[in-house]
Amino acid sequence: MSRSVFEAMSILVVDDSAYMRHLLMTLLQALGVREVHLAIDGDEALELLQTSEPDLIITDAAMMPMDGFSFAHRLRSIRGRALSMIPIIMVSGHTDIVSVERARDIGITEFLSKPISARSLYERLIQVIDRPRQFVEAPTYRGPDRRRRDRPFEGQDRRNTVALI
Amino acid sequence: MQERRSPSRLAGKDATETPAEVRFVRVPSIAERKLGADYVAPMRLDPRVLEQMQTTIRDLETKYAESLQSQVAMLQILVEPACKGDAEARSRLYALAHDMRGLAGTFGHAIVGQFADSLCRYVENSRAEDWNDDTVVTFHVDAIRDALENPRTDPTVTMETLNALERLISAARRQRNAG
Repeated sequence: MSRSVFEAMSILVVDDSAYMRHLLMTLLQALGVREVHLAIDGDEALELLQTSEPDLIITDAAMMPMDGFSFAHRLRSIRGRALSMIPIIMVSGHTDIVSVERARDIGITEFLSKPISARSLYERLIQVIDRPRQFVEAPTYRGPDRRRRDRPFEGQDRRNTVALI
Repeated sequence: MQERRSPSRLAGKDATETPAEVRFVRVPSIAERKLGADYVAPMRLDPRVLEQMQTTIRDLETKYAESLQSQVAMLQILVEPACKGDAEARSRLYALAHDMRGLAGTFGHAIVGQFADSLCRYVENSRAEDWNDDTVVTFHVDAIRDALENPRTDPTVTMETLNALERLISAARRQRNAG
């Protein structure tokens, strides 16, 4: 029987709702993930990241005191460490375009709207695990390439100069 | 079709030149990294695993339903103190509604989630003085309770209730703005 990638993964779940943390952890365990870390907000998550480096982070958007946006921004701002490039899935009840664009512009990898379903979570995970977008490092942005569709555009294609890590 | 892009903030002062600081890094997929030679592309959704996840949600449903009942009861208790200026009650009321917004739909209480979402959006955009009139909050909490007690309500009725709540919110805002 072939190995499942989920069995080899370590995932950090950040959510201030105990029930949501429990739900996500249980769903990840059903997928086969053996190592699930839990944090109740951005502060606790950053503290946890000092001692462990998960393969992926699932974070809520609205938390107190440090919300998911600030947490992701802080994480992406860490220079010179692979930690800052960890894929982040943001789970949020705020599905308006402003929130989605805000998430995209601070380097969120995928956005998952609440209420979540088994399928939506599974699909996002596959997207992140198997189809990573190249990572952009610029003075005003660090995160996955925000252009998902390959459409012609005016101007120089700067994406030709790709470094491989 | 050609995409017209305004100069990106990322591009620095001159959008036609690649700022030296911009770097594109290709990241290996987690699947490839973790599985090595066992990796088979592309990774696909496994119906058996999905079923397992859905079973997990079903297993949690009963427990969540119990918890939701007590949360709704707590919401009803909190309305009065929240509308009389108790900041702690307001904060707890919002936290409960926020939890319902995020979770109720997952466990088959989509309508509860929709009413909770409407209540959250109202609270998120409210000012302190909006709480003086408890009509909007009370109606939302009543709608949440009714949705929980009557899960098979006609969707038309649900939609009409949501619209009515929207109208109520608009009227409250107009009244506030009128001074």
